[in-house]
Amino acid sequence: MFEYSNARSILAKLIKFNILFCLLMTQAVAWAGSPTGDTVVDVPRPPAIMFTAEAGYGRVLDTYLTPITYTGWHTALGYEHTQATGFSPDRWVRQLSLGMSFDHVKNPVGNHSMQHLRAGGRWALMRRWTGVLDPRLSLMAGGMTWLQGGAIYNSGNSNNVVSVKAHWTLGLQGIAQYSTRLGRVPVTLRYQAALPVVGAWFTPDYDESFYEIYLGNREHLVQPGWWGNRFDLDHQVTADFRLGGTILRLGYHGTIERSWARHLNTHITTHGIVIGLGGEFLSLPSRSSRIISTY
Amino acid sequence: MKRILYILTLLLTLTACHDQPEWRDDPQGNFDALWTIMDEHYSFFSEKNVDWNEVGQRYRAKLTPDMTSQELFELCGDMLKELRDGHTNLIASHDVSRYWIWEQYPVNYDERLIDEHYLNFNYRQASGIKYAILPNNYGYMRYASFSNSIGDGNLDLVLSYLSTADGLIIDVRSNGGGYLLNVETLVGRFIDQRTHVGAIRHKTGPGHDDFSEPYDYYFEPTKNHIHYQRPVVILANRGSFSATNNFVSIMQHLPQVTIVGDTTGGGSGLPFTGELPNGWRIRFSSCPITDVDGSVTEFGVDPDIHVDMSDADRAQGRDTILETAFRVLGRQSAP
Repeated sequence: MFEYSNARSILAKLIKFNILFCLLMTQAVAWAGSPTGDTVVDVPRPPAIMFTAEAGYGRVLDTYLTPITYTGWHTALGYEHTQATGFSPDRWVRQLSLGMSFDHVKNPVGNHSMQHLRAGGRWALMRRWTGVLDPRLSLMAGGMTWLQGGAIYNSGNSNNVVSVKAHWTLGLQGIAQYSTRLGRVPVTLRYQAALPVVGAWFTPDYDESFYEIYLGNREHLVQPGWWGNRFDLDHQVTADFRLGGTILRLGYHGTIERSWARHLNTHITTHGIVIGLGGEFLSLPSRSSRIISTY
Repeated sequence: MKRILYILTLLLTLTACHDQPEWRDDPQGNFDALWTIMDEHYSFFSEKNVDWNEVGQRYRAKLTPDMTSQELFELCGDMLKELRDGHTNLIASHDVSRYWIWEQYPVNYDERLIDEHYLNFNYRQASGIKYAILPNNYGYMRYASFSNSIGDGNLDLVLSYLSTADGLIIDVRSNGGGYLLNVETLVGRFIDQRTHVGAIRHKTGPGHDDFSEPYDYYFEPTKNHIHYQRPVVILANRGSFSATNNFVSIMQHLPQVTIVGDTTGGGSGLPFTGELPNGWRIRFSSCPITDVDGSVTEFGVDPDIHVDMSDADRAQGRDTILETAFRVLGRQSAP
């Protein structure tokens, strides 16, 4: 764990690292879009848009609130926008994911409950390789940035009634998808994972009250994060069925959030069954004979 | 490539996985959970000179595997009483363990006596504040609980009404506390500049001495609202606890304020809450707040003038503490 006195300098280094990361990504984009690439500016790039709903199981431990692990039901709504980039569209894909979730969990005895509300957005830029090993297999991998916020509320507590969450990260995102058919229906099987690597998150101190923060003590509220003190994973296994112009998504979505800082322990895990509806949308007529889909 | 995968795997196994101790839901497990939560989070071991290890050993020896839930509750409650802390309660569905210091001292407050003999049942009420101008032209404000939120508009009307009085008595006897935000709201009407009112600390880890540096905090005068500038007497007793203790400790340092009555009940640590495997909750003192001098007020704030209600006065329908406040205001408002 970081010493508090070093936290600011470490945070500054992280910010520098993040800036460098962004510059490298920008440079990668520039290289990818260079004249030597196969840039086709006027090729239609239909965005694949998906709205999802999710229900399942949630498991929440946040020792700022209680040392007991609570379990219960989990729900979520999601929006995903995936599109080939304007530059080098055959090679690069960008994806915006927005979502919010709500967990209602109870202690093992069942006499107390907590509510966990979370919302966030993630933007990823991924290099795409098609026809790897198999012409129907495509792989995407790249960087992403992710901003999340929320709160866990434990109504039975006194001055530690709520644990506020805010988290910004940079990390990796990858997609492996395989196109096949189920009878006459085209199906795309997909595994997608987002793995934060570094970032920063909001956390009060061990037994710091929000009243003290309200009074003005804002020291040490931001904790630099890396795999030594924080691990997050967002992944899903889905099957997208093309039903005419509509795409039906069925699958599994799981999240893991673990952190250990300032002697505060957080383990939040969710597992959900996903159902979604979406499609690929062409907004303008085009004379091009090619369409660059992200499927 | 293999090396990269190896390093990646190693990094993932070294991540933020920190095992959380899990206690069994039986007498031993629940007792251990309670003892550990208090050991790692309670804030006043040194001030109260409590050897928590010794306390734990003594009460752990009384544990039996077949003891009933009621017996376990009483054992745990007795252990917590060793801390002599009004903010420390074990909360089960059938009972709440407590150590309320005011139960050991004279009550020093009789609401009916004041309503009948001083207010003549003729008073106003706003935002949980009962107020009136008494026949001797002193204003009287009774604030029974800091849990009653005070509206700025209501407080304007109260203070405006009392502004013609020669002095103001704020009666917070047997006010068991509530929200500290209401302390700020009230104090803001009696200061005319940014005022250092105390310091707050919090625990930074499970060790008994793991505390942050005290953070000095200040209250601002409430802007664009009515302020009270004349002499003020605050009536306190042992039942003036928690947020009320904080209010008295702040007001005591204002030049126009005199505290009359008994020592307050203490309760200077913001309570946090933990939980046992069987679903019982444990509330305990955390985040100690000291007064502007850095003094711990966990054991109460001594009044400027100590006086108890006498039985003789009570028999005559007189409140000794309130009568003392009249004399104080009489001296202060005399030309």
